[in-house]
Amino acid sequence: MSIQPYNEDQRDALQEITNIAMGQAGSSLAQLLDVFVILSVPRVRIVGVEDVPAAVGEMVDDPEEVTAVRQAFYNKLRGETVVIFGRKGCSDLADLMGYDEVEGDEGEEELLLDVTNILVGAVLNGLGEQIEVEFGFSPPAIMAMNTPIEKVLRSDELGWSHALLIEVNFSLEERGFKCYLIMLMPEESIDMMRHALDHILESF
Amino acid sequence: MSDGLDPLSFLRFIVDRVNVGIIVVDKEMEVLLWNHFMAVNSGREAHEVLGNNLFDSFSGLPEKWLRKKINSVFILKNFAFTGWEQRSYLFQFRHNRPVTGSTDFMMQNCTFLPIMGANGEVQAVCITVFDVTDISIYQNQLKDAMAKLEDMSIRDGLTEIYNRRYIETQLAAEFDRCRRYDGTMSAILFDLDHFKNVNDTYGHLAGDEVLRQVSKTLVDVLRTSDVAGRYGGEEFTVILPNTSLEGGMKSAERIRSAIEKLHIVFEGQHIPVTVSIGVTEFRKETKSHEAMLQEADTALYICKENGRNQSRAYDPKDGSE
Repeated sequence: MSIQPYNEDQRDALQEITNIAMGQAGSSLAQLLDVFVILSVPRVRIVGVEDVPAAVGEMVDDPEEVTAVRQAFYNKLRGETVVIFGRKGCSDLADLMGYDEVEGDEGEEELLLDVTNILVGAVLNGLGEQIEVEFGFSPPAIMAMNTPIEKVLRSDELGWSHALLIEVNFSLEERGFKCYLIMLMPEESIDMMRHALDHILESF
Repeated sequence: MSDGLDPLSFLRFIVDRVNVGIIVVDKEMEVLLWNHFMAVNSGREAHEVLGNNLFDSFSGLPEKWLRKKINSVFILKNFAFTGWEQRSYLFQFRHNRPVTGSTDFMMQNCTFLPIMGANGEVQAVCITVFDVTDISIYQNQLKDAMAKLEDMSIRDGLTEIYNRRYIETQLAAEFDRCRRYDGTMSAILFDLDHFKNVNDTYGHLAGDEVLRQVSKTLVDVLRTSDVAGRYGGEEFTVILPNTSLEGGMKSAERIRSAIEKLHIVFEGQHIPVTVSIGVTEFRKETKSHEAMLQEADTALYICKENGRNQSRAYDPKDGSE
């Protein structure tokens, strides 16, 4: 399936609303966690399915073994987000998330799911506000635990050919924590986003 | 629409009677809605709970964490979730399988959804509590069954030690580890002496009993880190991680002497058993894990030539082709 790429105006608009969405996400996360949250400038592009593993590998500093959590979102735009945590996971966030202590595998899993849910919620609601879409969310689920990065998203297991990919890194000031968020919206959502972008462009 | 039937009153009824727990709390954690499911399961009627602080009404709740969770919905305007696989339940309720249930309490999946006001801010948070006790029981049964299947797929049916396929994958993995990290390992290959005679003289059932006893002895004399399996017929393999050739020979001698001392009696007849053992170790020039087995086999062959019931370390001068 061939995909019509976004034109320059659409690309600029998408980058702009994504930047705004991330800014909002950062400030609501800071309000929730009471620490300063650092978000990278989001990287937005349309990728072919074969480029996904490399794109994911590139963004992660410590690609040896990662844990990944997925969460789907849906409405006119639909897709999945994958949050990738390094070997350290997010145990140093336990106190910020209201945990007294994290016990056992279940405790650690729940913390990962909780952190994923707030990151994904913050980012998508920011994005949703810009394009006037209220997203529904599926519960987050563990996708892979301590798995080599190249096995987390394998192109032969993905059922689409092109997707809109948004990547952003999160880190917390004065804490070692870092994680990576990937948002993938396959095929039909690329066109839905195009309409939303055109709509925004018209209103200027 | 029929006269006198108001969909809003249905809605009220449905929210109250649907078989899902529904609670609404405001920013101060004051309970604004408490449906029938919650009342029946908690034993607290709505009028006892409404208008009160959720945490005052239920002392057993994980307050600090749950406050944070509910707060996140207010701030981020997003959904939040809990799943029974990580946290069995939010509200400690008895479940409806008092007889057939194997868990103590109702397993719950909960969803937290923001109730938006006209001003675009979250006014209240609705918590839905789904009883997933049945699902959790089936899921656990499935998990147990899968674990059993997995175990069966890597074990030899007769002797219950590992099968050839498993031994080969473990050997390959250990070999790769040694090559990558410059490690040490040994491998043992052994074979029952004159096993054909045992079958011919005492019958196949006797032969099976010998294989079982030898396997049991093998497991008993090895360390927990060693991996032992039936390679085929009357042939056995042992992988010895972090073990030099010298250590491998010690293990081999322990195996040989323990099997020699076995007193196997089948239908009143004593069956003497001995084994011949070839041992080899990982060397930098070793080409593959298959080559290691080939070397052990070469040493084993020399044991057979030299009169059986003995073990031998492979010497590169022996050649392995």
